[in-house]
Amino acid sequence: MSIHSFLIMVEDLPLSAAVRGEESDNAWLFPIIETCHIFALSLVYGSIVLLDLRLLGWLSPGSSVSKLTRATLPVTWTAWGVAALTGTLLFMSKATTYAGNLQFQLKFVMMGLAAVNMLVFHYGSFKQVGRWDTARTPPGAARVAGALSLSLWTAVIFFGRWMGFTT
Amino acid sequence: MFHPFAQWLSTTSLSVGLQEHSWIIPVSQSIHIVCVCLLFTSALTINARLLRARTPGRTLSDLTGTLLPVMRWALAGLAFTGVLQTIAEPVRQFVTPMYWAKMLMIVIVAIMTVVFARKVRANAPLWDDVNRRPEGAKAFAIITSILWASIVVCGRFIGYTWSFYT
Repeated sequence: MSIHSFLIMVEDLPLSAAVRGEESDNAWLFPIIETCHIFALSLVYGSIVLLDLRLLGWLSPGSSVSKLTRATLPVTWTAWGVAALTGTLLFMSKATTYAGNLQFQLKFVMMGLAAVNMLVFHYGSFKQVGRWDTARTPPGAARVAGALSLSLWTAVIFFGRWMGFTT
Repeated sequence: MFHPFAQWLSTTSLSVGLQEHSWIIPVSQSIHIVCVCLLFTSALTINARLLRARTPGRTLSDLTGTLLPVMRWALAGLAFTGVLQTIAEPVRQFVTPMYWAKMLMIVIVAIMTVVFARKVRANAPLWDDVNRRPEGAKAFAIITSILWASIVVCGRFIGYTWSFYT
């Protein structure tokens, strides 16, 4: 089965048709799911940016990075789970359109790069966080990770919004 | 009432100029969403603290001292991009009740937040002590959380409802 026929099969599922709002009963399903997606994404982006700004030394310099990480990560991951679920439902409704959309593809490239950046930070400079936990300005590698994360997640928002103008 | 004004605004050189550059609205809306994300997360973080959720090692005044400047900048960005979008697409904005509901709630939540910030600054030890914190703190947290969530909903639904009113 080719990717295209798989996407058509996904689009033909009753759930996908329901999200598309083909019946008048569920005409508002797509906007409601999209609003939930925005709520979740707001918390993902907001919680990540607060940590990024601390890594850059621009927000509450001197506060504990490890404590901030412990406080924000559960919010980030829970919201990410909701964003992934709602995003999958939205994708299913117009799978062929979204899959062929450049902004959608770039959004996922940015998220992939953000994930790689997070892993490099987690298994790199964050391993020695005890040495710089409350430093006003974290080491260069941590600042670079913060700047990359801030840029990549902002790009995710931009491409996500741009999809609405190109699909 | 606002429809003739919106029609007039959409014909002004500024509005026409904004409409002619197809990239301005998507960029403005993207910045608008970034600002909403920062406001929503910062407000919910402060409100979670007011509702006694655990935020390790930080007092309320410390937390507000960190997050309120973020909210101030994000609100300024939200207002700037919001005005830009209203000038570029006045009919789309003015005709739907969602737009007016959003504006009203933003004004209410902004006033509530300014009053809250002043009270915390004026008596930080009182607000930092969970046992002595004014009773209204929890009500503030619940009401402003509902308002911020409603602002997000109304903002998104402007795009889905404006065509019903034209």
